[in-house]
Amino acid sequence: MGRPRAFDEAEAVRAAAALFAERGYDGTSVDDLVQGLGVHRGSLYKVFGSKRGLYLAALRHHLDDEVLPTVAALTVTSGPAEALAQAAAGFDGGTSGGLLLSAAVGQAATDPDVAALVAEAVGALERALATVLREPVGSPLVEALGASVLGLRLRDRAFGPETSAPAVLALAARLAG
Amino acid sequence: MARLTVDNGTLVVEIEGLDKLWAIKSRIEIPLANVRGATADPGVASEPKGIRVGGTQWPGLITAGRFRRHGELVFWDVKNPAKAVVIELADERYARVIVEVEDPRAAVALVEGALRH
Repeated sequence: MGRPRAFDEAEAVRAAAALFAERGYDGTSVDDLVQGLGVHRGSLYKVFGSKRGLYLAALRHHLDDEVLPTVAALTVTSGPAEALAQAAAGFDGGTSGGLLLSAAVGQAATDPDVAALVAEAVGALERALATVLREPVGSPLVEALGASVLGLRLRDRAFGPETSAPAVLALAARLAG
Repeated sequence: MARLTVDNGTLVVEIEGLDKLWAIKSRIEIPLANVRGATADPGVASEPKGIRVGGTQWPGLITAGRFRRHGELVFWDVKNPAKAVVIELADERYARVIVEVEDPRAAVALVEGALRH
């Protein structure tokens, strides 16, 4: 029973990820999603089960299409300085940029599935940094650099894009030296 | 108003008070395996309901009972749209159950939490 899916599911997930990134989980109503995605409410529930189901799909999409490719690119940089500059400029970016950080400080606290996706993304970042630094995964230096990337991204979100560029350059210069 | 409880792998939706009269059915039991999720959705009440196939509808006052739209059967019990929760089902008579609850946030957490276990 029921109608065929009359919409592009991948496109709907992409649009939802951008909305959630912009407005946060609680700040995005089902009305916002119905309007922003251009789908019927019934279809939305039928395909994703719930707003949470759609959010998990959106976060998964952000990881697969935006976070993990950026992280993979770090391992082919010339060294720690370039990797840091690249990560500080692009980690958790893309059309749904910031969704990961907002998930980390928001839904992850109460939702284990969201927490697992956040851990997956941060784990991938740390593994890439470990490769670049030629350090074992889990070494304090790797974690410190990973935390710097997260902090710099958060700082840029709060104070404006690229306001942390001088901090990135200073740290990168130390790493290169 | 409805009360949601989870008991032994089953989601129980109990319609309380006078709503029992309007809604025809006062208790719905759904195995958690057939529950896909729950969402607090104040906007759902302004959607077209479709054709009533049992129950009561006084527009703007109460929507209670079974409604059919686009081939889907939906159970409604909503007076105050601000407290509406949408429970999406699979392989059940109803495609979804839309009920008013005392605390939508707690109700959603109860259902979504139960689905994770």
